[in-house]
Amino acid sequence: MSLLMIIAMRAGRSLLLLFFAAAGTILLVRFAPGFFSDSRELDAKYAQAVQTEIQEEMLRQHSLRQIAMLQVKGWMKGDFGQSRQYNVPVAELIAARVRVSALLLVKGIFFGWLLAVCAALPISALRRAGPLWGLPFTLLLAVPAAALATICILADIGGPLLVLSLLIAAREFKLLRSLLEGAWCSPHLLHGRAQGLPTCALVALHILPNVTVQMCALMTLSIVTALGALVPIEVIFTVPGVGQLAWSAVMNRDLPVLVAVSLLMACVVGLAGMLSTRPITMEAV
Amino acid sequence: MKMRLSAVLLLLLLFAGALALLLSRYDYAFQDRDAIMAPSSAQHWTGTDEVGRDRLVRVSAALFIGLTGASAAAAITTLIAALFGFMAAFSTQCIANILLFVSDLILSLPWIFLLMMARSMLPLTASPLETAVMTFLILAALGWPACARTIYRGALALRSAEWMIHGYASGLKTLQLIRLHLLPHLRSLLLPQFLICIPAFIMAEANLGALGLGVGEPLPSWGAMLMELDNSAQLAQTRLLYLPIALLVVVLLILESFTSEVKTDA
Repeated sequence: MSLLMIIAMRAGRSLLLLFFAAAGTILLVRFAPGFFSDSRELDAKYAQAVQTEIQEEMLRQHSLRQIAMLQVKGWMKGDFGQSRQYNVPVAELIAARVRVSALLLVKGIFFGWLLAVCAALPISALRRAGPLWGLPFTLLLAVPAAALATICILADIGGPLLVLSLLIAAREFKLLRSLLEGAWCSPHLLHGRAQGLPTCALVALHILPNVTVQMCALMTLSIVTALGALVPIEVIFTVPGVGQLAWSAVMNRDLPVLVAVSLLMACVVGLAGMLSTRPITMEAV
Repeated sequence: MKMRLSAVLLLLLLFAGALALLLSRYDYAFQDRDAIMAPSSAQHWTGTDEVGRDRLVRVSAALFIGLTGASAAAAITTLIAALFGFMAAFSTQCIANILLFVSDLILSLPWIFLLMMARSMLPLTASPLETAVMTFLILAALGWPACARTIYRGALALRSAEWMIHGYASGLKTLQLIRLHLLPHLRSLLLPQFLICIPAFIMAEANLGALGLGVGEPLPSWGAMLMELDNSAQLAQTRLLYLPIALLVVVLLILESFTSEVKTDA
């Protein structure tokens, strides 16, 4: 199969996934038991008859066809519809926040990986490195993102970047350590060691070039980990990013924002998936 | 050895939690209005929260609710994943592709977004018990795709095994083959999947709870207890507010060590 064909097939699959992700989000939200929940439901001053009328009115206004049409219209116009809670185009809301989240994401992944590599490289070189060496990372893995963020705020240490970096480092350390341990045991490296090559030369000339491809694939998958941690971190540190916008949309049942953010996330995850499988595809070609 | 130690530690924790619940005079929802934000005392060993509820009882109840809910959700997830994995592995290529596409579809979104979306769509009038059940059901409903892919790979490898071909040739039906041969072989794959899901679900519930989307009050949960850390006035008075998070980390570490041991055995 030609490279062009593979790319076209992958792009087609990703587009199909995006379409279904959008349709799934609309269906999930529309048919959720609480879609028609209104804060007026909890207000005792409204009689049962009035509440029934409110529900019937919402039912008329929110048929699945109407919601889908509104969404499609918004996408055609390029503004992704109008936000229910802010009453501004969704594209405007996302554009203002995407830069903040992207910067946090990129920096978090960079520093997280730096931390993981700096810890895994010397530990993997040790002949008898027990599980205790990785204990800080194991401990970090057992702390939920929200708890770590809250502790950082309480201790007045670091900020969202530190929390995100620590979470990514904890997640990637184990994989990186086993990858590097495998690389240290390869026969050509043992031969190099026997020849008396200095450790720096071994790392620069043999270890890193050997594991770069796998590391790149893992790095792109870190994007998914980082996206998952983004919401609690942004909410707790009140960072005006996409994660906070998604949380606010969820709390206020803002469907257009929810669908747009879901699509954005699906795009990023799809792209990360495609990038992580690129070396294998190229080898196959 | 490590697994036995983990099991003993977990049992000790559960035993201590059960003792705290049984011996205490207070219910997890009981508000002692005379002891609001009280420090540790003979009545309340680890103090009370901002509405006078006994912290030890609430932490113990959260331990049981979290573990029970996460274990049930993990069992459901593993079951769904096993069904999906088997169906994909033992059906035609077309059906397998459709099933894998469905799992890809769910995997195409970071699950915190899916969880938030699904959890927030519950009615405003849902009772605390309903929110707890729904939260763990949503976790179960969304957690299966990654497991399903692993099980699919395992089942696919076994499908072409010699003993399977021999079983087919002997006239065994597909269901018999799955029950008598495949399931025992896949047990080493299903058990780690189940154990991996438990700490993951506990952590997801804690994260959701910290965002105000977890188990509803007054039912105690890890997430709701993490929210207590926001109260700086209470933190200035007592460090016992850190008790839930310390216990949560211990529980997760124990569960993680279980998982790593089972994975190594597999």
